[in-house]
Amino acid sequence: MILIVAVTVALLYVVRRFRSERGAAPRQLLSGRRLQFRVGAVLTFFAALLFVLGIVFTDKAREKPATGDAGLASADSEPLKIKATGQQWLWRYDYPNGAFSYYKLVVPVDTAVELELLSTDVAHTWNVPELARKADAVPGKTNRVLFSTEDEGAFEGDSATLSGQAYAAMRTEVEVVSPEEYEAFVEAQQEDIQSAQDRVVELIENGETP
Amino acid sequence: MSPSPRPELVAEGFTPSRPRWAQLATSADHKDVGRILVCGALGFLFIALVELALMRIQLLVPENTFLDPVTFNRMLSLYGASAIFFFALPLAIGLFYYVAPLQIGARGTALPRLGQTGAALWVAGGVVLYAGFLFTPSEAGVNPLAPLTEKAFLSNNGVDAWATSVGLATLGFVFLSINLVATLRTMRAPGLAWRRLPVFSWAAVVSSWLMVVIGPVLLAALTMLMIDRNYDGIFFADGSGGAPLLWQHLSWIFFTGTYMLILIFAFGAIAEIATAFSRKPLFNRTVVMVSLAAIAVVGTLAWMQNMLTAPIGIGWMYFAMLMSLALIVPFGFVIFNLIATMAGGTLRMRAPLLFALGAIFAISIGLASELCHSLVAAAWKVKNTTDATAATHFALIGGSVFGGFAALHYWFPKMTGRTMGENLARISFWTILVGLLLGFVPLFLAGSEQGQVIDAYKYFAGTGVTTYNVIASIGVFILFVGILLTILNAIFSREGGAEAGHDPWGGETLEWFALSPPEPHNFDILPDVRSPRPLRDIREAVGNRTRRSEQRAARESQPVA
Repeated sequence: MILIVAVTVALLYVVRRFRSERGAAPRQLLSGRRLQFRVGAVLTFFAALLFVLGIVFTDKAREKPATGDAGLASADSEPLKIKATGQQWLWRYDYPNGAFSYYKLVVPVDTAVELELLSTDVAHTWNVPELARKADAVPGKTNRVLFSTEDEGAFEGDSATLSGQAYAAMRTEVEVVSPEEYEAFVEAQQEDIQSAQDRVVELIENGETP
Repeated sequence: MSPSPRPELVAEGFTPSRPRWAQLATSADHKDVGRILVCGALGFLFIALVELALMRIQLLVPENTFLDPVTFNRMLSLYGASAIFFFALPLAIGLFYYVAPLQIGARGTALPRLGQTGAALWVAGGVVLYAGFLFTPSEAGVNPLAPLTEKAFLSNNGVDAWATSVGLATLGFVFLSINLVATLRTMRAPGLAWRRLPVFSWAAVVSSWLMVVIGPVLLAALTMLMIDRNYDGIFFADGSGGAPLLWQHLSWIFFTGTYMLILIFAFGAIAEIATAFSRKPLFNRTVVMVSLAAIAVVGTLAWMQNMLTAPIGIGWMYFAMLMSLALIVPFGFVIFNLIATMAGGTLRMRAPLLFALGAIFAISIGLASELCHSLVAAAWKVKNTTDATAATHFALIGGSVFGGFAALHYWFPKMTGRTMGENLARISFWTILVGLLLGFVPLFLAGSEQGQVIDAYKYFAGTGVTTYNVIASIGVFILFVGILLTILNAIFSREGGAEAGHDPWGGETLEWFALSPPEPHNFDILPDVRSPRPLRDIREAVGNRTRRSEQRAARESQPVA
């Protein structure tokens, strides 16, 4: 921002000050080495400063979040691992107990969550800006995102890499709930999946098409 | 034996044996080839703008249904290919190809048929791209990331047409660049040492080497893609040993290098214009020349700056950040020296200078916001939002539209013998500037504040981006009109512009020594070059001689006492 203003001001000043209408003869000015060295020193210092700041802030962003008192007890020592799979054009989340959900991810509050991003088809980018950093889900290579949040509630998210036709409609939602609700949700999800599974098996055994 | 002046054959006004178009199509002369590239580039610019405008109409209101998603993605892919491969690159390379041999006092190029082949390949690429439009254009985006481009996900011919077209164009650029490298290496006028080379020609050297390095990288990637799609290859397919990330690395090396090439071209042109229009020498030639070379090397090494959200190691991310931030130094040097060149001069505010100033302004905005995208932690927030779209457009519209148009206005008299209309140029400039600011500043805000994602065919009401998108669409329509004005100006000035003469701007480099338009052999006689400002030396010498002969005549006419 400062850079833009500086360049613009310099441009405008030069243009106003040195219009040919003013009638002065052009000074055949050449720069000495010393001035260029000084400019170079300022630029280098600025670049180095930004680089150091960049590393500091990146390190901060990469800090492993710890599970707090209000969080899921079982995630105390190690973050809760959830697998997020991008597929055209839906996000699938697999929980540690084998349950899974589509579109909506439910996580316990105040708990360190490690999202393992993977894709089964094309490259996607998982993007829930209020919650965690953006990260790509690329087939064949796991990308990890660590986050934890202290507020319960729902967070909207979407995908940020062109993935084909319904790219703009490939959205997701993260619901942050209390650990108890999370446990209940995962249990219920697992039971639902199991009963649906049983139902399908039953239908097939009876010779019907599910 | 002293060398005696050779007799010269002069044949004026002979009729060409073939029609003009046949002459042009079969000519290997660098001026004809350059003209084909520049005219073609302006044509494709118009087409690219139509596609951009269609996309902006779709994004005028939330959840619009003007274009269906597939059509939108096709427009996006065509727009990307047209703007980069068929406008920005050929405009830069075409102007290099036309001007650089003139600037170094060469009577032609080293490998004329190679360059001609290059231009023909480029034309073929353009035909393939839009022939693809007749059946199915690519739907995979500006840089179509594997594995979306694999047969399994896009089974129609679109991606094949895209790869063929872009491949032909790139091969053409490589051929043209090889010729430029050879020409600039071997055919400089006597006394024209590297240190005395005009900055635009130096930019041509650097850009050509850059294209010779990055062009084959893309060609290799495209070949792999074609093998994947048509011969069951697995280069970019996951699972059986392929790596989708490989495409990202290879393609970003090319696209990042291209970004740098366009900016190097723009800065080279601006340096010429700044010196000519302020009647001052470049503030520090050596620093500018070294900086341009550094931009090519360091800039291309920063390719992973585009992959900061991909699953690559944090060390690589820091490397990308280091390279991107290191670019502050050469870019800063160039911009500082350009402004310092103009300071203290006598600025004649003609169209080329106006566009050049616009270019510095727009490029500085684009580069400054690109800085934010280089800081890893910030990139994790703003990458792949419309903030990135805006940053890229500011830098590349600054480079290839403002910078390219500055160069076009500056060398148009050389190419056609006529200057472009000044008033229309001014109107066009201000329209483009307003259009650019209105069209892309809102996208900065929509991207960085609301996180609107890149390349999406729709957005949703209630996400706070509607106003931004409406303003952006209006801005792009204004931009469209502004650019159209310059294209029309060029078309009408070709026949109807004011006669320019061989040196309308008081330039200091050798191209202004030739006629406008130059003869097929460029120069009747070649001067010895003794400084970076050969034409100024010639002017001074002629002036001195005239003064001396006048003084002698005055003395001789004195009555003898």
